[in-house]
Amino acid sequence: MLKLREHARFYVHAAGVIAPDRRAWLLTGETGCGKSTLTYSLARCGWPVLGDDGVVLERGSEGVTVHGWREPLRVSIELAAWFPELSQRESLVDWQDDRHRVDVNASFARRAKMGGVIVLQRGDRDVLLPLAPTAALAMLVRQSTFLLLTDDHACSHLRLLRDLVESVPCFTLEHTSAQLSSIHDTILAVAG
Amino acid sequence: MTRYRIVPDALSASLSDGAVLLNLYTKRYFSLNDTGSRIWSLLEHQASEEEIVETLVREYDVEKPEAARAVNQLLDDLVAERLIEPTSV
Repeated sequence: MLKLREHARFYVHAAGVIAPDRRAWLLTGETGCGKSTLTYSLARCGWPVLGDDGVVLERGSEGVTVHGWREPLRVSIELAAWFPELSQRESLVDWQDDRHRVDVNASFARRAKMGGVIVLQRGDRDVLLPLAPTAALAMLVRQSTFLLLTDDHACSHLRLLRDLVESVPCFTLEHTSAQLSSIHDTILAVAG
Repeated sequence: MTRYRIVPDALSASLSDGAVLLNLYTKRYFSLNDTGSRIWSLLEHQASEEEIVETLVREYDVEKPEAARAVNQLLDDLVAERLIEPTSV
């Protein structure tokens, strides 16, 4: 990650998925906010995955490109109630893992142009609201540990995140388990 | 006349609705609203506390005592966050 940083590519703790218009959407938020679960929900609908826990951002002539950070996509076996195919993978569950996760299949992609940012938050209702640039930047800063390194790249990193939130739509999504089946419609409603 | 210096470890990003400040030493970040962002930009131009208050009174619908209180509070917060420090001029 440090080498990437030297080449003006910056890691951020977020999931990345590619919508049908080929634009990348970042799903970010605190640990446990549902990034992997909603990423899998989208992957089941045919959305290519760039990463479920991290992606790499790079500034280009036509905006920010999101590069994949490929690691196995893992979700809790307890989601079998919503995703029946998971029950066939029960023998592969890592029971030592607190969340009883299992590797799942997904189509991975290498990169895509930035489309938007959604900050996830578990709640007791499903509501998608526009997020002001300052609030979106604060969240991305919080999810960018390597931004805090005291080197010559910190300023470029912060500027890239600043330009990103000013150039694409940003939302906050409070969600319940109902989003497991409707997240693709939720994003499509605001994409583009 | 109190002036402040932005510390070398402070990074800032101005946005359409405010700004985000980052202290690379304390590893803490700080969000500012539109008015706070304007105050930060004045600090970047080495404006004194009194000059900042006068600017806000000119640019915003605010009385001087209220502006002075708000500016003083924000400057105290920024000093506490080690994003700025007083200078002797």
